Amino acid sequence: MRCYGLTIPGSDNRFFIPTLTPPSLSFKSKPITRISFGSKLKATFNDGVVADQLSFYDLLGISESGSLMDIKSAYKQLARKYHPDVSPPGRVEEYTKRFIQVQEAYETLSDPSRRIMYDRDMARGIHLAFNARKRYNHSDNQVSEQRGEWKSRWQSQLSGLKRRSESKDAAENMSWAARMRQQREEL
Amino acid sequence: MGEPAYTVASDSETTGEEKTLPLPEIAIGIDIGTSQCSVAVWNGSQVELLKNKRNQKLMKSFVTFKDESPSGGVTSQFSHEHEMLSGDTIFNMKRLIGRVDTDPVVHASKNLPFLVQTLDIGVRPFIAALVNNVWRSTTPEEVLAMFLVELRLMTESHLKRPIRNVVLTVPVSFSRFQLTRLERACAMAGLHVLRLMPEPTAVALLYGQQQQKASQETMGSGSEKIALIFNMGAGYCDVAVTATAGGVSQIKALAGNTIGGEDLLQNMMRHLIPDSENIFKRHGVEEIKSMALLRVATQDAIHQLSTQTSVQVDVDLGDGVKICKVVDRAEFEEVNKEVFEKCESLIIQCLHDAKVDVEDVNDVIVVGGCSYIPRVKNLVSKICKVTEVYKGINPLEGAVCGAAMEGAVASGIIDPFGNLDLLTIQATPLAIGIRADGNKFVPVIPRNTTMPARKDLLFTTIHDNQTEALILVYEGEGKKAEENHLLGYFKIMGIPTAPKGVPEINVCMDIDAANVLRVLAGVVMPGSRTPAVPVMEVRMPMVDDGHGWCAEALNRTYGATMDLVTLKKA
Repeated sequence: MRCYGLTIPGSDNRFFIPTLTPPSLSFKSKPITRISFGSKLKATFNDGVVADQLSFYDLLGISESGSLMDIKSAYKQLARKYHPDVSPPGRVEEYTKRFIQVQEAYETLSDPSRRIMYDRDMARGIHLAFNARKRYNHSDNQVSEQRGEWKSRWQSQLSGLKRRSESKDAAENMSWAARMRQQREEL
Repeated sequence: MGEPAYTVASDSETTGEEKTLPLPEIAIGIDIGTSQCSVAVWNGSQVELLKNKRNQKLMKSFVTFKDESPSGGVTSQFSHEHEMLSGDTIFNMKRLIGRVDTDPVVHASKNLPFLVQTLDIGVRPFIAALVNNVWRSTTPEEVLAMFLVELRLMTESHLKRPIRNVVLTVPVSFSRFQLTRLERACAMAGLHVLRLMPEPTAVALLYGQQQQKASQETMGSGSEKIALIFNMGAGYCDVAVTATAGGVSQIKALAGNTIGGEDLLQNMMRHLIPDSENIFKRHGVEEIKSMALLRVATQDAIHQLSTQTSVQVDVDLGDGVKICKVVDRAEFEEVNKEVFEKCESLIIQCLHDAKVDVEDVNDVIVVGGCSYIPRVKNLVSKICKVTEVYKGINPLEGAVCGAAMEGAVASGIIDPFGNLDLLTIQATPLAIGIRADGNKFVPVIPRNTTMPARKDLLFTTIHDNQTEALILVYEGEGKKAEENHLLGYFKIMGIPTAPKGVPEINVCMDIDAANVLRVLAGVVMPGSRTPAVPVMEVRMPMVDDGHGWCAEALNRTYGATMDLVTLKKA
């Protein structure tokens, strides 16, 4: 099944010499702003998402002071309703979307550190958008994460400064999702 | 058996979309194991295991090709051991299905008493049975289909109704490509796969039901219970961590590997005859007989070592090769040290992925044929720090019972006593991602993501004015792309010319309620509000056999000209 022993020669792009002449430098230095586009493409992909304006607490139907027990039982109750295995045949697609949102809310709020982050952002009145998390390589890199912790902290301070100077107003308008994504990617 | 052994379905029929059945037919549960298999069904009030004519609940998974009329372990008059001697009996198909001839698991199957030949070029291996001194080639799908037909006929005569829908248990480490092969085998046997359940999750469902029942009887609060399930059969080893409350079982993490009783057996055979591979290389009638005799004798010895501390192995393999030796349990454990170490690391990994401390585990469930081996039971209880494992589940019947229960639930059967008021929230056993950043595997949906799921990740071009990008979709745990299973590939065309790193290529992966994987790719240029090219949506897996060389061929032709890198934001 696996393609063991099949080396892929020349696939290392470091050795690839581009044959095209690079265009002018001014083009290159312009950074891409995720905010203007992120929500846009998401709209194309996540058509018909209804819960954009709901907080994770609203999604789970619990109060903001809810305990971990409350979160867990609310999640299990909603899973019984929205999980595609038990939802009415005609509404599977709609309920599946809903289930993914509930799952997201549960995953964020059941993790103490992520809940603190989320609560902090909510207290600051930041618009709460769904699809908050970017779990790039999340579970596999625990060890390197720890090792690189000081480095990432330092880098986040640095890039924090940079971000503030670069796009002062953008940061304020940024959705909670975009901010979370950014923070996660810097790790 | 006079009737045709199996019906051949066209390739396009394998996934079968026909879901609207007029009558609620109860899907049966099938546990098709590497070494043995079983069938169970919800009989209206509980799960019942079905027996064949020889009164067996567990039937050996093998097919014997004789005079062009194959017969399998369900109906066969002879024992598996007897049938193995002449080279016309094929087994261990679950280990070989959907694998190419560069796979080490295929290589390890070469000393089976039939033909497994490899050319190491990334195509399917040549598998054949010796019938009247002629090699009759076959495929794992075909053998499994023959076997499934026998199971179907047996079940139909029991239940006196036609059977169409099944819930099948599968190893955690099976790739989506292997799953399609299994579905194909079912289609050949006239069966429609309603659900494929990783084996330990079927056990988890059964556990969830038992817990719910217990809490109802005691009027308990039904607080959350966490269980670790360790399942080791002949071909595969799986671990799952489940959290269950009120009939809802949430799979927290899954881990699986291709290690099992077969490895223990092979290591032991090598221990008894170190030069066995060379001796049996010729694959003549005599060698096959010797191989089979050695296999049977070793298997018996391992079985006996589960209950006694030493065993006398006494076997004449012919051609002057005789074994007369006492093997003790310590020796067996030493020879298989590596296998047991792999089991340990699998459990540790699963607990880690589930973010569960050993102390929080309420029950430890050990199932599968290897659960009778004292060393296996010990290693699980040691890591989980328990003195006793969970007693409520039969090690050999748990998976099939869970599958039958899921079959009833998924068929929409309602039990007045609430015994089917169950839900299993599944997780992805393997990460799914694409090749990017050189030759790396970049997961878009990490493993142990709750299903259904939808995730996306941004990539960008690596060359200036790169107008095309190749999306190679892989599944697995390897860091390098080629260490994973290739599921398919497609090209994004018409990327607007721009310096490298500017176009944003969004790769989104979606696993829907029916566990169907779709990959979507779109291109957006900075400042633009709409996708630059129409979004491509492709259903995976799309590769057929021979996908081993296909990645290499693509690379030879295109090199890195259509590569991508992950988009990092400052």
